[in-house]
This record gives sequence, C-alpha cells and structure tokens, in this order.
Amino acid sequence: MVSQKITITNEQGMHMRPASVFSQAMTPFASDVKVVFNGTAYDAKSVMMLMSACIKCGAEIEVQCDGADEADALKKAIELIESGLGD
Amino acid sequence: MINGIAASRGIGIGSICVIKEHELKYEAVKVEDVESEKKRFDDAIEQFKAETMEMAEDIRKRIGPKEAEILEGHLVMITDPSMSGEMGKMIAAGQCAESAVEAVCDMFIGMFSKMDDEMMRQRASDISDVKVSLLKILLGIEDVDISKVAPGTILVARDLTPSMTSQIVKENVAGIITEVGGKTSHSAILARALEIPAVLSVPDITSTVKDKDTAIVDGTEGVVYINPEGDVLSQYIIKREEYIKKQAELQGFMGKETVTADGKSVELFCNIGTPKDAKKAMECDGEGIGLFRSEFLFMDTNHLPTEDEQFAAYKEAAEIMQGRAVIIRTLDVGGDKDIPYLNIKKEENPFLGYRAVRYCLGNKDSYMVQLRAIVRASAFGKVKIMIPLVTCVEEIRAVKEMVAEIKKDFDEKNIAYDKDIEVGCMIETPAASLIADIMAKEADFFSIGTNDLTQYTMSVDRGNADVAYLYSTFQPSVLRSIKHIIECGTAAGIPVGMCGEAAADPLMIPLLISFGLTEFSVNPVLVLTARCIISKWSKADADALAAKVLSLDTEAEIVALLKESAKE
Repeated sequence: MVSQKITITNEQGMHMRPASVFSQAMTPFASDVKVVFNGTAYDAKSVMMLMSACIKCGAEIEVQCDGADEADALKKAIELIESGLGD
Repeated sequence: MINGIAASRGIGIGSICVIKEHELKYEAVKVEDVESEKKRFDDAIEQFKAETMEMAEDIRKRIGPKEAEILEGHLVMITDPSMSGEMGKMIAAGQCAESAVEAVCDMFIGMFSKMDDEMMRQRASDISDVKVSLLKILLGIEDVDISKVAPGTILVARDLTPSMTSQIVKENVAGIITEVGGKTSHSAILARALEIPAVLSVPDITSTVKDKDTAIVDGTEGVVYINPEGDVLSQYIIKREEYIKKQAELQGFMGKETVTADGKSVELFCNIGTPKDAKKAMECDGEGIGLFRSEFLFMDTNHLPTEDEQFAAYKEAAEIMQGRAVIIRTLDVGGDKDIPYLNIKKEENPFLGYRAVRYCLGNKDSYMVQLRAIVRASAFGKVKIMIPLVTCVEEIRAVKEMVAEIKKDFDEKNIAYDKDIEVGCMIETPAASLIADIMAKEADFFSIGTNDLTQYTMSVDRGNADVAYLYSTFQPSVLRSIKHIIECGTAAGIPVGMCGEAAADPLMIPLLISFGLTEFSVNPVLVLTARCIISKWSKADADALAAKVLSLDTEAEIVALLKESAKE
C-alpha cells in the first residue's frame, strides 16, 4: 500500500463537483483507493462516501492506494487534489 | 400578507395552480423472485437515467449549463456504488425495489441533513429528489404536467424539483411559492435563472390555498398575498410595472462604459470575498476588483495558508478578470474578525488594538508569505496590493520595503511578476485621513473604507444599539473627511477609490462625483444600479448639490436634502 497526506485547497471542499471529479478519476484504477479523514477511511470511488466525509477547504486528508496500480493511482489522486479538483 | 424567503426578485400577480404531490405508497413485501425484481429495479434505474439526461439537456438549452449540473449531479449520485450498488445488494437479499431505494436514500438524507454545511445539506434534498423520481418510476406514477399551465399562473408546490422546473414555460409562470427551500436551494437558483419571482419557505401554503385563488408574489421583499384587497392589488400592479421598467433600463447599462452625465469616465469595480466571486463580478459587468478580501483563505481552516495555496487563489482571480485590476487587501484580522489558530490575545478594545496591518507587521514571517503570493500572482493579471487600517506613513513604507525585498529575491530566482505592481492603502482611520497628503506621497492609490472610517470618526460601535444612531456616513464630519481624502489623492495625482457600502448608495454617489472619486467598488449585483445613477449626474449638478450639503449643520438635514435631490 502507498499513501500520502495532502491538504484540500479548493474553496468549497469535497462538495458535489470536486467529489465526482475525484471519484470518477479513481474508478478506472484496479487498486482500492481510500481517503482517510478524521480517523475514518472513505471509499474514494464513491462520490456519496466522499461527500459524507464533509471535507472542507484546508482539511488535511490521507490518500491510501492498495493494489496492482497503486503508485499510478496515488500520483493521479495527488495531482488532482493539487490542481483544485476542477473547482 | 404572508412572509417567506425572498428567493428570486420581481413581482408576479396571477392565478394559483397547486401542484399536488402523489402519495408514494407501496407494500414492503419479501420478494420471492429476486431475479425479476432485480430486473424491475435495473429497468427503473435505466429509465431514470434516460429521463434525467433528457431533462438536463433541456435545462442546459433553456436555462444554462450551471443549472443543468444539478441534474447531472443526480446521475452521478445514482450510478455511485454506494447508491445503486447498495440498493442492488438489498434486492438480492430479498427486499422489494421500493424499500431498497427508500432505505438507502433515507440513510444518506439523514447523514447529509445533519451536516453543518449549507452546500452539503443541499445534497440531502438532491437525494430526496432522486428517491421520489425512482419511486414514481417503480410505482408507475405520472408526474404532474406543468408545461401546460395557462399564462399568468402562480405555481404553488411543497418544493420545486428540477424535474418540475424543466417543464416550466417561462412565459406562462408569473410566480412561484413553495413550502420549503432557502436562498441557495435549487428552487431558488432555478427561479432566479428563469427570472421568475419566487418566495420560498411559506409554511403550509399548499394546504391553505386552492386552484384559481389570486396571488401576489413579491420576490424582492419575500411576501405573498392570497386573494388581496383591491387597493393592494392595484398598488402591486403599479409596482410591477415600475420594476419591469427599471429592470429594462438597468439592462441597457450592460456592457456600457461608466460615465457621468457630462461624459467623464469613472471606474466601477466590485468587492469580492473569494476567487469564485470574480466570475460573478465579470457576469455583472464589473470593470475590475476594487476589494478582494483575503480573509476567506485564513478562515475555515486550521493552519496558516501556504504561499502556494494563497498564490493559487490570487492567480485564479487575476486570470478570471483577464487583465482588469484586482486589488487584494492583505489580511484584515483582529477587531471583530477572529482566526483562532493565530492566537491573537483577547483585548479590551479590539478595534483599537492589534489588528490588520499592525498584526501583519508584528508577524512579518507570515505577512511575507502573503505578500510573496500576491506578487507572484501579479504575473497573471493586473494585481495590486492594498494595506488595511494604516494610521501612519511608516506602515506603508514598511510594506513597500518588504515588497522590494520580494522583488529582489524573485529577480535572483527568475520568478515572474509585474515589476510595476502598485502598493496602495485603505484610508479608513481619522489618522490616515488627516495626513492623507503625506500618505499620498507613499501610496500608489487610496481606497476609502467607509465602514471603519465612519466608526472611527464618530467613535461609535455600530453594534451597540444605544449609540448606533450616530453611525452614519452622512455625518458632516465623515463627509468632510471623505472630501479631504479625495482632494489629497487628486492633488498628488493618485487614483482614489471607495470600497465601502457607501460607494453604491444613490444618496452618496453625487457627492463622490463632486469630490472627484475615480473608482467606485460595489457588490457585484449593484454594478448596473450604480452605473445608472452615475450616468444621471453631471459634475456641475453634483457640485451644486455638494456645496449645499457641506453648508448644512446636521446629518438629518443632509440626508433630507440628498433624498429630495436623488435621481434613481
């Protein structure tokens, strides 16, 4: 498993659009992708789960990827969050 | 008269059509034939997706892409593994499709409606829309067709769902009243996009009115009249005509230059709080950003935003404004704005204490981070630095020294920035006003902050009801101060703007024209109104009025004269 901590910088946090951009980008990966926030792991391929975490701007999360393409999945996830999730 | 939430401006008068909601009743039986139940569910999902896509396309064409996103969100939600996937699992375990849909949706509705975030709570109503649509498909219930209502209809519904909205024929619907929803709910967004007057959150309205009742919907004030008296009705007919005329007049100012009646150009900028608001400023035809409050970056977070985080936000605003001015006010913390992680000590008199530029210069390391981010962003547009709450000239000099240091560092590291980036200051204290001539030698521009200037000049806490009567920008002392600041700026050849609420006040605008203000910065929604009022005053008329105003002794006399002379 690979993981990395990162801060959410897009203004509205993980609301509908950023969450769906993120989950849709993660879905094609074979690896399990989880977002850990406040001690709970959320399925990053589920927009509903991501939104239910109520992650706001400035929050620090950890992205965990586990599987055959875990390195690529993590790279993509971090890139997306750094670019503000299309917000 | 019934009160509700004013959600979409304008006045609608017409005949009520109540949209009755069907009861979505079913028996939650144990399913024997799981395979065919699964197929019934899958078919319903497919039908839901097809219908939703069609409605989204329709809304995109008729209203706009932003509004269509609501329905596209519904598609994303239903295809989510934790939605249709979970429902499928429950059906496989023997539940009927209806109860699987209801159970999963209700769980998410419960979860989202408890969140302390308006945007997230809004998702609860999305899921509720999805649930109702799916149940209707499963139970074979046809939606009420509101596309065929007669012209002049006032729609009354418990809630206006996006699917209902997609059927609205704008020409036929004069107004909307609902029982639920707030200013940011979908009903409100869609009503505003369709420019239909709407009042939301009117309790029990669907059960207290009947079809064909006459209703007035005042979406500006947020009030509704059912079967009004003749005199109220005739008053509102006149009000509606006036509103329509005014709107048409204001629309005529879209895309026009801001000029006074005698042809002198002034700048009309916007006050914003986030980069996203810059889009709104552009939509509202703002000519630049006169005040970008940087506090949003520091609030709602638990750490000092990094240089990169701040740079991204400033750059975004600069790019949205496409080369138009973006004046960024550096952190204005303290006073009534507390940011817990900065650990500013509680003070006896926070407004007279460690706030704004005083705090920033006392914490140069973190101030440096913000200034660097702003200077970096200057490579992407016309970015300017504005220092809040200055009281002596050393403060401007200190900030300029820091900026010079940053430029030197950037030159060494080959980091791009605008070499002519301007450093100006807010003039919002009596101290700064009194030495505005000295300040003008150091600052590249002034911006008058009327809220603080009034508070400090009048020595009044406007939150204190016992003294709030003294809080008025039309006090002779405050007006003299404003006039003095503008004259000092003009004499030194620097632009003088105003970014307080007063810049959009129809009573204040003629005085500002007379004094020689060069830049008005207003809330984006007030751009056209301000441009319209500015266009009605010539320098000569404004001067004549200002001379009279300055000869008066009291605030009451001044306001009375300005009201009498107002041009709206």
